Order: sequence, then C-alpha cells, then structure tokens
Amino acid sequence: MHANQFDGNAAFAGGGFMPSQTNQGGESSLTPSKNRESQTLLPLTIKQINHALQSSDDRTGLTIDGVGVNTVTLVGRVCNKSGQITEFKFVLDDGTGTIECTKWLHEPADAMAVESILNGMYVRLYGQLKGFQGKTLSIFSLRPVTDFNEIASHFIECIYVHLYNSRLQYTQASIPSQQHAPNSIQITPTKGYQAQAIPPNQFSGQHNNGQKSVQELVLEYLALPTIRCILKVVLFSFISLTPITYN
Amino acid sequence: MDPLSPAVIVNAELLPFYVGRRVRTVMQVVRSDVLAVIGKSPDEKQLIVKGSPPAPLTSFVEVIGIVNSDKSIKAELWTNFGDEIDMLSYHKLCQLANGEFKHLFL
Repeated sequence: MHANQFDGNAAFAGGGFMPSQTNQGGESSLTPSKNRESQTLLPLTIKQINHALQSSDDRTGLTIDGVGVNTVTLVGRVCNKSGQITEFKFVLDDGTGTIECTKWLHEPADAMAVESILNGMYVRLYGQLKGFQGKTLSIFSLRPVTDFNEIASHFIECIYVHLYNSRLQYTQASIPSQQHAPNSIQITPTKGYQAQAIPPNQFSGQHNNGQKSVQELVLEYLALPTIRCILKVVLFSFISLTPITYN
Repeated sequence: MDPLSPAVIVNAELLPFYVGRRVRTVMQVVRSDVLAVIGKSPDEKQLIVKGSPPAPLTSFVEVIGIVNSDKSIKAELWTNFGDEIDMLSYHKLCQLANGEFKHLFL
C-alpha cells in the first residue's frame, strides 16, 4: 500500500457510527449538532452522557469529544420498567450510570415487541436525548441481547470512538489554518493524525525487526472467528498506537 | 428491579483496589454449590462468589456485587451469560476501563 493508514470509515463502513469526514474539517466553529449533514450515531456509556450534560451549555447542543450528539446507542440492563398503552418506560443501567428511557408505542407491533422485555434483561437500544437537559432517552429501536459478547463489544466500541474523536479534535486544533477554510480540501482524520504524529515508517521499522510485521498480525486476526477478530483489531489499533493496513 | 450503578468492571487482579465497593465481572464457573460459586476470572485467577446462584447456571456468569476481600465477592445479582464468552476480550476491557479510559466508566 502507498502508506500505512487506518481508514476508519472504510473499515467500519457498515457500522455508521463514524462521524462524517466531510464535515469535520470546517465545522468546529459551528454547532455540529444542528448541521443536518453530520447526523452521528455514537456508542456511549451513560457516564459519558451524564458527564456531557453536566458540563454543557444547552443552547449549542450536546457535544461529546467535539462531535455533535444526535443518535446514540447503549447497552444495559432494564430496571423499573413501567408500561402504559402508549409508552414503555424504564431505567437503563449499564454499570456506569442510569438513564430514563421511553419508547413510544405507535403500532401493535411495537407493543408486542416490548412485551418480552423484562426487568433485569440486557438490551441494545438506539435513541435520541430529549427532554429538559436531555435527561430522557427517546428510543427508536430496542432489542434483547442474545450474545453477551455484545456487552464487552459495545464498551470497547465506546472506547474506540472516544479515542478516534479525541484524536480528531487534537489534530484539528493543531492545524488552525485548515479549520477556518471550509471550502478547502476535506481533511481525513488519518491524514491529519499522520501530519502531527511520528511518521509511520518509524513504527513499521520497529515492528519488522525480529517480530511479526503488522500485516502478518492483521492477517492472523482476520483468520480468527468474527467477534474476537473485531474486538482484537479494535484493541490492537489503539493499544499499539500504530496505524494498520488492510492489504 | 433496582439499578446497581456504578459497578466497576473488574478482573481478579483489580479486586484489592475495590474492597467494599460494587463491582461486576464475568467468570467461568468451575464449581458451584448452594452458598458460593468458585470460578475463573477473566485473567484466569480463582474467584469465589458468595451468594445463591440461580439454577441452572451456564458456563459463564456475570456477577454484580460487593467486594469482600481480594479474592471474593458477595453477589447481589447473577446473570447467565451463556456458554461462549470471549474472556480475553473481557480481560482487555477490564484493563482499559480501569486504566487509560477510566473517565468513560466511573
């Protein structure tokens, strides 16, 4: 490959949680959450949400790690569920905090889907923060967790996205000229990161001496069963702080 | 059912730091009887969890409870996690969640 770059968007193209690259370059002085083009889906811990709510100015909309919070995804246990005909309410507990959640029941299919959700069950949900100071989560989609590796996977995703967005914030802050030129070339986070960090050639040199090369390690991981592969690639990429290639 | 937050994700080597606090961990069941379950923590050390487990227990079980000592937990909640959990990934998550990324969890 021409350079050792980890293209996050290509690697996770199906996931949808990576912030749009086209808007990260010129947008940091605007309100990201109001911009229609940057509709993000962020995997978060409830602690991250509560922390952001405490330190936010309501008018500019909630941001976490410099990214506007639009839709969020959480995994946690259902507690204190209460149901009425039009809505299904409960408290979600993911071990880092609690948040009140509401799912509005518009159709009979919605009501049937939530009937099987019991207290103590682990669920995956997608929703938006609503209400005064965003204290309630309005749910679009809710389903029970069947493979409990999803819980560890979700938290690892939260760590990864936090790291990715934080690095993006850092590199944008270090390239002030590009921030104020919204019409300039789109900045990809990886390119920005490379410009500031140690050149990748230094890392690949270290890896090739007496150890398996990064490429060989990645190929090994790709041969593993799917869940472990995904988790290990994520862990490897930021534990080693080395961009990886997919060739 | 009441929320049990915050509960730190831990493995056996982190237990001494959280004595008296609520933690959560996944363990592989080795032996179980009426009063306690002996299992293997994500970092392959022995863990004793006191309390009455649900029956039947699957191979992996999540326990949320208060740490008694550096080897044992008094369980408040048991959840069967099935028979296929990737313990290495969970172990790595414990290390990250208590290390560099603690601010996301606690």
